[in-house]
Amino acid sequence: MAGVAHAEPIDAARFFSAAGLVVARSSVVVLLLVGWELFARSGAVTMFVLPPLSAVLERIWIDASGDLWLNVGLTLYRAVVGFLIAAVAGIMLGMAISRSAVARWFFDPIISVGFPMPKIAFLPIVILWLGVYDVSKISMVVFDAIFPVVTATIIGIQGVEKELIWSARNMGASKREVMWQVVLPAALPQILTGLQVALPIALIVAIVAEMAMGGYGLGGAMMTSSRFADSRGVFAALVEIAIVGYVLVKLMAVLRRRLLVWHQEASEPATV
Amino acid sequence: MSSQPQIVIEGVSHVYRPTRGKEVTALENVSLQVGQREFLALLGPSGCGKSTLLYLLGGFLPIEKGSISVDGKPVAGPGPDRGIVFQHFALFPWKTVRANIAYGLERQGMAREQREARVQSLVDLVGLSGFEDSYPSQLSGGMKQRTALARTLAFEPAILLMDEPFGALDAQTRHLMQTELLSIWQRTPKTVIFVTHDVQEAVYLADRVAVMSARPGRIKTIVDTKFDKNSRDVFKAPHFVDKVDEIWNLVRDEAIKAQGGRGM
Repeated sequence: MAGVAHAEPIDAARFFSAAGLVVARSSVVVLLLVGWELFARSGAVTMFVLPPLSAVLERIWIDASGDLWLNVGLTLYRAVVGFLIAAVAGIMLGMAISRSAVARWFFDPIISVGFPMPKIAFLPIVILWLGVYDVSKISMVVFDAIFPVVTATIIGIQGVEKELIWSARNMGASKREVMWQVVLPAALPQILTGLQVALPIALIVAIVAEMAMGGYGLGGAMMTSSRFADSRGVFAALVEIAIVGYVLVKLMAVLRRRLLVWHQEASEPATV
Repeated sequence: MSSQPQIVIEGVSHVYRPTRGKEVTALENVSLQVGQREFLALLGPSGCGKSTLLYLLGGFLPIEKGSISVDGKPVAGPGPDRGIVFQHFALFPWKTVRANIAYGLERQGMAREQREARVQSLVDLVGLSGFEDSYPSQLSGGMKQRTALARTLAFEPAILLMDEPFGALDAQTRHLMQTELLSIWQRTPKTVIFVTHDVQEAVYLADRVAVMSARPGRIKTIVDTKFDKNSRDVFKAPHFVDKVDEIWNLVRDEAIKAQGGRGM
């Protein structure tokens, strides 16, 4: 009983310190938003240059009964499908390059040249080849998001201790079993870091592709608003993109914690 | 020792060729025979190639010169007849204690019920009851090495290869683990090749101590250290102290050489 009575204040203290952390973290964002509202209403700028936050939120509320969900859904679809293809293909490619000298010989120079290159420069040619619909947008996302996944997979696999592989071989695991049951899980923290880099890239490229090709989607909607000199619409799209990006990145961090319960970092405070 | 040695190592040399930097001759013309159920310690200064010899025996490194055979058959790759325990445990960090120990049994295709019973008996053997569902990152160094030992004992190798298994543990835990290893070995006799640079440890655990010279590694002498290890005051017994002293004098020169002749 005494133990239970003792435990309560500690839990309460933990709760308040956790709640305090959330408040402290979000207070910067709240401060910025309040600053935005006040500055926009101060008369220093016109409504056109910077509409106040309240007006932008009102616009998002109105959009919510219009095309908002279609736009968000389409952008998410393009970003997430592209990201998933890039994730699977990137991990496979990384494994192949780590394992086979031929694959390394072939892909190493392509990755060295391709990674630092602005892939978005291929947009015009992708439009010519694949048109302006989902296939070309998703292709652009895959093309851009695959690089961090491949390099993270290669680095992760390179870093696996040889003792770990030897132990598995010692216990009778075949080379294929070693790859899937030992090397891949051992490299998982690194691979997940690569995926965490690739995810925002996927969203960025989806939106930029939409901006360039037009049509539905958050990027397209923003460009349409811009063409009609609808500054509220542009800011509304910006806020929507920020929220979508935040939610995606947070979900990825949750997934990482789930997958790495065994890792030391699972018991440490999150940074991402 | 039985009439036929279980492990025969003949004229083995090994050279490391790093992609950059110069070649290192880790072993030179090493020959050694180990009998069935014998406990042999490989003792020498760091960098004398004792771990290399163990890795060759385990089949993890290719044998380039000389030959190694186990039970009359030449070693060609790793196999569950020779179980290895590493200094830094090499546990699968994403698997619990239970799943780590079960891994080798799964690879052998052992049925689930049988496997679970065997894992439990090993958990009890190494004293890890209550920690079956912990991940390695939640265990102390001593408990990690118990898990690694249980994982290797699980698939019942005839030969146990131990690469400075207690080198990463604190002094008290190390002593506790030595005593336990000795009692496990006495209960389930196996051939053990035990790499260490700790003279006391070697004399306490082994039947014979092979003293190795500094780079390039050669077997300098083999000292017989077989006597009753079960008495409580074995570390103070005169014959124990004499053996430690004798071997320490042999190792001393090599340790000085390995330090670059600066003395200790």
